Amino acid sequence: MNGSPLARIGSGWLLVLPFLALVVALFLGPIVDILRLSVTDPEPGLGNYAALMTSDSLARILWTTLRVCAITTLFSVAFGYSIAYAMVHGVRRDRNWMLSLVLVSFWISVLVRTFSWLMLLGRKGLVNEALAGIGIISQPIEFMRNELGVLIGMVHYMIPYAVLPLLASMQTIDTRLVSASRSLGATGSQTFWRVYLPLTRPGLVAASLLVFILSLGFYVTPAILGGGKVLMVAEYISVQILVTLRWGTAAMLAALMLFGVLGLLFVMSRFMKLSTIFGGARA
Amino acid sequence: MNDKGFMRETLAEGAVAFKEGRMDRRTFLILCGMAGVATQAVLTGDAEAAANEIVMWNWGGQAEQCHGEAIGAPFKAETGMDLKFDTSGPLQGKIKEMVDSGKVTADVCDADLFDAVALGASGHLEAIDYGVVSKDRTIDRYALEYGTSIILYGYAFVYDTKAFGDNPPTGWADFFDTKKFPGKRSLYKWANGSLEAALIADGVAKDALYPLDMDRSLAKIKSIKDDSIYWGSASEAHSMVVNGEVAMCMVWQNRGRGIEKDTDGRYKLVMNEAIAMPGAYIVPKGNPAGREAVMKFIATAQSVPAQLTLLSCLGMTPSNPEAFAQIPADLQPYAITSAQNIDKIVYNDPVWWGEKGGDAVNAFLDAIS
Repeated sequence: MNGSPLARIGSGWLLVLPFLALVVALFLGPIVDILRLSVTDPEPGLGNYAALMTSDSLARILWTTLRVCAITTLFSVAFGYSIAYAMVHGVRRDRNWMLSLVLVSFWISVLVRTFSWLMLLGRKGLVNEALAGIGIISQPIEFMRNELGVLIGMVHYMIPYAVLPLLASMQTIDTRLVSASRSLGATGSQTFWRVYLPLTRPGLVAASLLVFILSLGFYVTPAILGGGKVLMVAEYISVQILVTLRWGTAAMLAALMLFGVLGLLFVMSRFMKLSTIFGGARA
Repeated sequence: MNDKGFMRETLAEGAVAFKEGRMDRRTFLILCGMAGVATQAVLTGDAEAAANEIVMWNWGGQAEQCHGEAIGAPFKAETGMDLKFDTSGPLQGKIKEMVDSGKVTADVCDADLFDAVALGASGHLEAIDYGVVSKDRTIDRYALEYGTSIILYGYAFVYDTKAFGDNPPTGWADFFDTKKFPGKRSLYKWANGSLEAALIADGVAKDALYPLDMDRSLAKIKSIKDDSIYWGSASEAHSMVVNGEVAMCMVWQNRGRGIEKDTDGRYKLVMNEAIAMPGAYIVPKGNPAGREAVMKFIATAQSVPAQLTLLSCLGMTPSNPEAFAQIPADLQPYAITSAQNIDKIVYNDPVWWGEKGGDAVNAFLDAIS
């Protein structure tokens, strides 16, 4: 090893250097611009951030966003866990068609899925008409155009994102540990709670992080299935940029989201190596 | 960035130099490349040829064909200039961004008149040249410094004849009366029109609406919140009605005919107390074709044949008073300024919306969410 810094960087880095520069210019540049906007528009200072403390409506939008994202994460990961569990422990043929189903729903556009939910669960949708037809209900059940609708749409969209990291994590577990646990006298549920579940923790964390972070940016589903009543941050930012021209507010919220996510990753990194999580996420 | 003007001049100079043989082809092509100009446009004439067209920024869909037919064709016949389209929708934020970035690619925006008030005041628009564009060919109060109304659209509502056929609702008071007319409503999500409708329903006189009493309006909106959902685009409103999600739905009046047709007449349009919105043509500052050319274009759009084609093709109501009397009989029920509707309508105040719109939208979103 000679001491020249260039050699230490290595020729591999030189190859990616132009692309790194491109990423910095095209990605970091605009982000810095947004951060700058959040403290300069409409006037220099921290006024936009101070509004977080004083404005009830901003607080409510953030609360709605966090609530919807947290519930979405909870249900997506719970469903995703069961699906991944069934896939890992099923026979190979079942696993293949289950994986195809997950992937097919993964690939269907969010708009198509959103409108499908309206057709299925809307006021005059298949389910309500069927239930009314056989006389179980007299009034249609309000599945859609409210927070429940947003949650249904978002959980459905997010399940594949939960399944894939969990699947990868479960596949690496040595099944002999389960046998060992049983042979030492643990019951089935004891084995699951005390041996299996802790082993899948990196996968659980990865799935939860992925789902939660992606949920934060949801736009189409809340806008359509929420019927205008579920206002989340992404939609609010877009309104502030395009309609009301409060670019400072929009930039402040964008910065808040960005640092929120980074902060979340930082907290997680205190508890576990992030590389294992995202290494585990390679499905 | 003032580079654009500089680049165009450089290019015009370059084109002359190239033609006279003072500049070789390669250097000239590099220049064109740097300026981002299609070389073909340059080579066929000079650099100015690249600007021998008007780019209209509209909302796509049918509008492209209709604007081409109604305004593009006569404009081409008159001036030889082509009409091209950018169909990405000229929202205020996008216009501001385009002008601020210095890369103005659109000449005229199919926007709202309140946009002209908001963006004109912040210096993002070219003033309308009323030497070319006629003040008499639009509604009195809708010829403003930075925009002129070309068409009117309006907020009206449709109702389910199966639910209220015997005793149909006749105005906004009925729309907001969920006791007498039970069932779901749908209103426009971005406040516009919804606020006015609420005040009219609450008993405010049609000519005393502005400045809008926000507290009173929002209280009325909230009073039917449990029975309301909200739409953000015309197609969303359309599908809410067609799928039977609502008993009454506020709609853009130009959609009324389509809804009546798609529901086989089950839903019917009510034009009484419709709120007329001035759709306006506005010009981003530093538009590529220059101010003179685009003003001629706007003047063409004011002509009676263009106005009537926009009506039959898009359902947009003429704002040129000369065209009012020529609205065909079958379209009269759906047109805002037809003889049978003109006395029943309410006029939107673009100045109030241009100045207070941002706050109003945020307050409205806060109230409904």
